[in-house]
Amino acid sequence: MSIAASLTSGELTVKSPVRRKLFGDLARTRLSGAILIALLLLLWEVSAARGWIVSDNWPRFSAVLVAAYRGLLSGELAEILGSTLYRMLAGYAAGCILGVLFGLVLGSNRVLDWIIRPLIEIQRTLPSPAIIPPLILFLGVDDTLKIFIIMLAVFPPVFVNTYGGVRGLDETLLLTAKTFGLSRFDTLRKIVLPATLPAMTAGMRIALSLALIMAVIGEMISGASGVGNYLMSMQYAMRADSMYAAVICLAASGYILNRVFLRLERAALHWHHSMQAE
Amino acid sequence: MPELGRKGFGLLSILGVLLLWELVCRAGLVNLSLLPSPSQIAPALWKILASGSFLVPLGQTLGMLLIGYTIACVAGVALGLLMGCSEYLYGLLEPLVEVIRPIPKPALIPAMVVFLGIGAGMKITMVALAALFPVLINTLQGVRGVDPVLLATARTLGCSRFETIRKIILPASLPMILTGMRVSLSMGLVLVILAEMLAAESGIGFLILDLQRSFQVRPMYAWIAILAAVGLVLNILFEMVEDRAVPWRAK
Repeated sequence: MSIAASLTSGELTVKSPVRRKLFGDLARTRLSGAILIALLLLLWEVSAARGWIVSDNWPRFSAVLVAAYRGLLSGELAEILGSTLYRMLAGYAAGCILGVLFGLVLGSNRVLDWIIRPLIEIQRTLPSPAIIPPLILFLGVDDTLKIFIIMLAVFPPVFVNTYGGVRGLDETLLLTAKTFGLSRFDTLRKIVLPATLPAMTAGMRIALSLALIMAVIGEMISGASGVGNYLMSMQYAMRADSMYAAVICLAASGYILNRVFLRLERAALHWHHSMQAE
Repeated sequence: MPELGRKGFGLLSILGVLLLWELVCRAGLVNLSLLPSPSQIAPALWKILASGSFLVPLGQTLGMLLIGYTIACVAGVALGLLMGCSEYLYGLLEPLVEVIRPIPKPALIPAMVVFLGIGAGMKITMVALAALFPVLINTLQGVRGVDPVLLATARTLGCSRFETIRKIILPASLPMILTGMRVSLSMGLVLVILAEMLAAESGIGFLILDLQRSFQVRPMYAWIAILAAVGLVLNILFEMVEDRAVPWRAK
């Protein structure tokens, strides 16, 4: 933050005349951004209300909000959203556990690393929607499939970051552990895990948004349930307001999940951040 | 030398898995109509490759991807630089970015289909939209992370604003920008395949889902193999560009 400030503040004192100071202060805060969003939403509302854009697919913004409110209140949308989030979290948890396990094992065992990592690299290069059609053949279109593909998408970032964390471990720490005669398990628990935790959570943070994306993708392709399926059927049913309402609810859930994650991460890593700040 | 040994090991392990797959199929442990053996998929793959029928879908998919990706990269770097260098623009645009960013982009496909149909415009827009944010965010962070001493030096030497951006800020934030572009590339590939699956009559994504629905399992796996190869090649190409562009960055 301070860097950007130092980048511009010098020029500002040279450039901006006094009479523009009031406007400048307003423009430099996020308030201007909030006003921009409000204006865009107003434009949406007015363009639909006044018929500037005449289309069944361009509902008023207020109609979308009403649809979201009704959907959540009646439980229809809430239930669909809940089922999506449930699968997302289940797949996320499974992917995180696997990613951490593989990262720890491959990071510390050379032979297993050489054998297994090429396979993981190949899996990573395949764009995830492409795995869904064959998996439908095996797993059907139920929860198992959706949780499984979320797990597949969550695994790589968690694995890569954990692996990198283990490989980047300070040698001295390990030697010290050995000097003190720590058992393998104790070394893992007291040295390796805390030292790689920042890298792990970095991977998990990336994976969180991927998990929501994959949850929606899986539901769109396989149908049957969830917000992804709801979006598709609202599109076919030409109920644009419900469609946009679902998108807004999804975005809000993603935002909230990310916020919760950051809060948890900060709580888990407060010692790390305080160490870095010194 | 250890690098060579590692790669050899990797190749061996991939071959080992293929062999295991083949044996599992031969032993009758899986339903062959769901999971054919590699030796059954290979002829299907060869047929697609030899007849040249892979060229049109591949070209379509890659074309959509590259156009959308290029738009996203140019717009993302430009916006990131502007927002990073001007506090006015940062205040103006940052809230909007924060509002649009958490929307899972696949969820916008139905809305885009409604407005743009199922043609090229929809796919390019979706790829561009999905690929924009990683580039934008990383560029912004890169610009904000530029060493203040460098900027002060530039000012001391009387560099113009444009010169400062071109000679100091851009090179210093290039590693971050490229990291963003790498994330964007795989995101763009995901979106183009998904868009083709949901709303298209051509392209690799459409073919894979269509073949699955008509139970032509062997060509489906062949196309998935082709897609994996595409992902791999794109990755390698990107790494080569990265090595050229930021040779000073340690791997």
